[in-house]
Amino acid sequence: MDIALRGIVVFGFLYVLTRVIGRRELSSLEPFDLILLVILGDAVQQGLTQDDYSMTGALIAISTIAALQVFTSYLSFRFRRLRPVLDGEPIIVVDDGNLIERNLKRERITQEELMAEARAQQIESLDQIKWAVLETSGKISFIEK
Amino acid sequence: MILIAALPVVALLNVFGQRPTTSTASAPVASLHLYAPEDLRGGLIYMARFTITAHEDLKKANLILSRGWAESFTINTIEPSPIGEGSSNGNLVFQLGHIPAGSTYRFYMDFQVNPTNVGSHVQDVTLADGSTALLTIHRTVFVYP
Repeated sequence: MDIALRGIVVFGFLYVLTRVIGRRELSSLEPFDLILLVILGDAVQQGLTQDDYSMTGALIAISTIAALQVFTSYLSFRFRRLRPVLDGEPIIVVDDGNLIERNLKRERITQEELMAEARAQQIESLDQIKWAVLETSGKISFIEK
Repeated sequence: MILIAALPVVALLNVFGQRPTTSTASAPVASLHLYAPEDLRGGLIYMARFTITAHEDLKKANLILSRGWAESFTINTIEPSPIGEGSSNGNLVFQLGHIPAGSTYRFYMDFQVNPTNVGSHVQDVTLADGSTALLTIHRTVFVYP
């Protein structure tokens, strides 16, 4: 019983946490981010299963998280109005070759990072970009002029 | 998916433990309430609380626990310490001493389930005055793998 309850709380907290951290950080894992993720996982495990060494406990924890994940994605699929809350919305960061500073600042993306992403897609200057959109997955899509 | 979602729901209904339940036995001389979980999992730390209410003087109160209380369970602490301990027919005997009529004696035991201790265990409790058994609580615990 306790594990299922703790699983619900942990899932809710991590869901909010991932929304607060921002999609950009989560999509590009630097070595330090990876280490932080491992530490985070360990810290979560302590709270989730505590001294429970049983297979039953592990199955309850995993199935609780899995069921909640499916449930939230169903909510997002079924109710359009919930999508911005649950998944976020795409954010335009370049409009007709012009940087939208407010959106870049909000997502903590520098111009250098944006241009690095652009170069990865064979785009060499801002002038070539019609739209650049930060997708909900954290990736940046470029639409050329 | 229904199966996976059902697991946390069943867990929330306390099927896999560890919410405690109360078992009671009464006799004209005394009554005994046992507050402890009946479903457990490997590694769990839990408490058993024995509440003895003496309706008449108990000169030499003994609490007799069947061997299922000790086998593959780590006994972390016993409070208050009994004035003596022994064995009777393979059962654990805790000598509690004199309990005056009308008074209540609370006895706490803290356990941890050894992870290999899977299955059903008989955990009967008998309250005796000297060698005279006064009442018995019959109970079984189940340890999930």
